[in-house]
Amino acid sequence: MQHDDPIREQAALWAVRTGDPGFADWDAFTDWLERDPAHAEAYDRIAGAVADAADAERDVIVPANDEVPSARPVPRRWMSAAVAAVLLVVVGIGLWWGDHGVQTYETAPGETRLIALQDGSKIDLAADSRIALDPDKPRLATLEKGRALFTILHDDGDPFVLDVGADQVVDAGTVFEVQLGSNELAVGVSEGLVIFNPAGQNVRIEPGQLLESPLGSNDVTMRDIALEQVGEWREGRITFERASIAELAAELSSMSGVTFSAAPASVRDEVSGSVLIDPIRADPASLGPLLGVSVRQAGDGWLIEAR
Amino acid sequence: MTVQTSPSGLEAAFLDNRERLLRFLAARGAGEEAEDVLQEIWLKISERRTGPVASPLPYLFRTADLLLIDRYRARRQADRRDRAWSEVHSGSTPGVSDAPAADRQLASRQLALLVKKLLDDLEPPRVGEIFRRHRIDGLTQRQIAAEFGVSLSTVESDLRRAYKALADLREQLDEV
Repeated sequence: MQHDDPIREQAALWAVRTGDPGFADWDAFTDWLERDPAHAEAYDRIAGAVADAADAERDVIVPANDEVPSARPVPRRWMSAAVAAVLLVVVGIGLWWGDHGVQTYETAPGETRLIALQDGSKIDLAADSRIALDPDKPRLATLEKGRALFTILHDDGDPFVLDVGADQVVDAGTVFEVQLGSNELAVGVSEGLVIFNPAGQNVRIEPGQLLESPLGSNDVTMRDIALEQVGEWREGRITFERASIAELAAELSSMSGVTFSAAPASVRDEVSGSVLIDPIRADPASLGPLLGVSVRQAGDGWLIEAR
Repeated sequence: MTVQTSPSGLEAAFLDNRERLLRFLAARGAGEEAEDVLQEIWLKISERRTGPVASPLPYLFRTADLLLIDRYRARRQADRRDRAWSEVHSGSTPGVSDAPAADRQLASRQLALLVKKLLDDLEPPRVGEIFRRHRIDGLTQRQIAAEFGVSLSTVESDLRRAYKALADLREQLDEV
């Protein structure tokens, strides 16, 4: 380790800059790289180490009996920060809170959260969502609001069951996403197999299929979706297909934490498209040209109008 | 789902800036792999049905950069596995059929504990918090500056400290 190595200092600074989604000065970065082949090596070492660390911090799963080596968790003002780390502590010292052992996880608009289950399964909770887990019943979860992506280790003898309103979704070895909207429930599968209401309609949902069912109804419709669209919000992307502007505004508000609303005359107009959330958060008006709508600031939020 | 009928802004930007991207890849040390990487980027943007992206060119550079970081990490990971294999034959993990994945999980768990401790111990505590807010929660540096009430350059220098500390940790682990 050479702490005073100027190349290493510069490489660290470039890694910080290029790591920001808003970074645009790739020409200056190229110039720096071209000055000395050692620059690219130093940059790789730093950027690689940081990516390794961030992945480990994000994805790791620690069983309940593991010792967490740090003495005491530092109280954090930002609960959403380092969800994985917070969870390490929670699971590691077996501290649960909430009524009757049920643990409710909730995300604010613009915030996502990874929940690692003890068996190695995990749940990615999208923004503005809520899920209840009972440590005594580790193979049962209740999605109360919003959406989540489930990556479940399958056990034939003990399938994972998700309750959503009056419906039940049972995995058969699986990565799947469930969205509880205001009018409708949607279940999309990217790997394995999911059974919808085994005691009722008993519908099999296979990879690349999306099941939709209006709330309070037994109707189900199936359609195809692209695999990469399942859980795409984790990469900060969201796709709309013939969504009303009211739905678009609600979804964008949840995902970005920026308040969007639909102009009254445009509530029912439909839009289609796929957007990255980060740039929208940074510049809400940029939504306009992306989706062919008009976006203007109104009070604390942004008003979306059909064009 | 929306299907783009005309070439997206991204594809157009790719075609217009092929040479620039190649120059970047060469400078970035891609060597003979530069054309491969370019191809990979093209597949990524054309197959993934990427929707409209606000700034296509930076997006392409970023994609290229991330692919190269991934390739570097994969090479290092393979080196580590080779070395571990030749050093010790630690017995198989009972009850787990997917041994490479289990090894990886174990190694990444150890790394995670060390990373967590390192981030918790950085002073002031803001440094570790800013790192997590940026790299785990995905906030931009500008958003973080606003949230923590510090300047953008403070966010930059905090991140730089965290990055160097994490690189030190990685180097220590690799030296063992």
